[in-house]
Amino acid sequence: MLELFTYDFMQRSLLAAALVGALCSTIGVFVVLRGLAFMGAGTAHAAFAGVALGYLMGWPPLLMAILFGLATVWITGWVEEKGRMKLDVSIGILYTATMALAILFIGLMKTYNAEVYGYLFGNVLAVTSEELRTIAGLSIVVIGAIVLFSKELYFIAFDQEMAEASGVPARRIFFLLLTLVALTVVISLKTVGAILVFAMILIPASTAYQLTHSLSTLTWYSVLIGITCSVGGVLISSYWDIPSGPAIVLLATLFFFASVVLSPKRQHRALASS
Amino acid sequence: MASQSSPIIHFDHATFGFPGVVALDDISLEIQSGEFVGVIGPNGSGKTTLCRAVLGLMAPLKGHLKIFDCACDELRCHHRARIGYLPQKGVVDRNFPVTVLETVMMGRYGTLGLFARPAGKDRKIALDALAHVGMEGHRDSALGHLSGGQQQRVFIARALAQQPDVLLLDEPTTGLDITTQHNVVELVQHLHEELSLTVLLITHDINMIRSRVDRLVLLKTRLYAAGPPADVLKPDILSQVYGKDLVITEKGLVIVEDYHHHH
Repeated sequence: MLELFTYDFMQRSLLAAALVGALCSTIGVFVVLRGLAFMGAGTAHAAFAGVALGYLMGWPPLLMAILFGLATVWITGWVEEKGRMKLDVSIGILYTATMALAILFIGLMKTYNAEVYGYLFGNVLAVTSEELRTIAGLSIVVIGAIVLFSKELYFIAFDQEMAEASGVPARRIFFLLLTLVALTVVISLKTVGAILVFAMILIPASTAYQLTHSLSTLTWYSVLIGITCSVGGVLISSYWDIPSGPAIVLLATLFFFASVVLSPKRQHRALASS
Repeated sequence: MASQSSPIIHFDHATFGFPGVVALDDISLEIQSGEFVGVIGPNGSGKTTLCRAVLGLMAPLKGHLKIFDCACDELRCHHRARIGYLPQKGVVDRNFPVTVLETVMMGRYGTLGLFARPAGKDRKIALDALAHVGMEGHRDSALGHLSGGQQQRVFIARALAQQPDVLLLDEPTTGLDITTQHNVVELVQHLHEELSLTVLLITHDINMIRSRVDRLVLLKTRLYAAGPPADVLKPDILSQVYGKDLVITEKGLVIVEDYHHHH
């Protein structure tokens, strides 16, 4: 197994997986706590539609993914703020509409394009050096923004109105969070794919949520679980020759169920009800 | 008690609501620094709208509202940080992963402003705030593990950590048992006296606060009365607002007349 580490492609994959794992699990803390779980799924499909349009028109797919992702989160954020519609309804509409666009764009392509499907299912083992540099650069931007605004992000996740009333520019921070979610989804598309990126945002933070009562501990646990699952998933995938995306997500799911069983919160609830 | 300086909150014929819906109509009211004011009124009388207005979350449709000598729609974040706010008791998710000290530290965030990291000084302010509400022994407890009364104390400490000039409490005793209600209101009175805080307390429980506040404000979309409790709590005024015959007992308690007859 150790010889795996000597291959260039393997080193790139492990690094990409670790970066995406860290990134998704960090933003995931705020997504889970702020109740934006469905937003991740909606954004991923929107970003995929952007990729498909990019390939159809010969435009840069990553840039198109960013544009589609940002448009989706900003529209849903605006709709929630105006209170016109429940957030899950507006995301549901955009989610399916963008998926319809993606299918339309793929249908309009004259030939079968395997690369587009790569974005749908992800393949971390195929990450190129150039893609790795893009992932690293964007990861630094997103994690830097999270670190810089962590106290405000925690506060709006806890209670946005209370944050606003206490003098935190909560509205702007909420839109920053949405923007960071969109960027995270786009960065992760190539590695875990549009279908599974949502799981990478959701599962590590939800697993950590079972294990602690402290916000700061939750964040560290989430990052640790995210990196472990991503790197572990890549190793499993190359060792047993199975697709990397499912290997990462299924390993994370295993961690999640173990945390539910071992959760001190669950034990506390059992004590409280006895 | 009320000082003669300029009012800290000044409603001048202010009307609030949404297009087509008036929640508060033509309110004129001054609240002086250091006052303890109780705001009462039936459900839907505009109490929470008043609260949101004072927080600068709603601008008047007509008239003016000045807070700290600043028009409320021009309130900046640093002004808001001077108002410690306890929202209506929502259901705290028992599993929300936050400790008592982390909750109280959030009170520092608005005051600190963007980019600044909380330092040892902020931690000390948060711990002092916890000591003020008698919860210093619970600083590492999970917020969700506390009783309703303890959670309210923690949220009051969070407001105190802002080192506010005004404490704004929206129905702080809702959902608490009678002893705990009493303890929470007693704590608020104690903080008002000890820290010379201006307190604006919105409540349904007239009897709990009538002997503690400097002034009562009685709302039902309009401002029906404002003044010392003895001047506001008059059966004719109360019946007009609450739509039922309310009486004041020998001990000064406000009760519904049916109840009075049968007992």
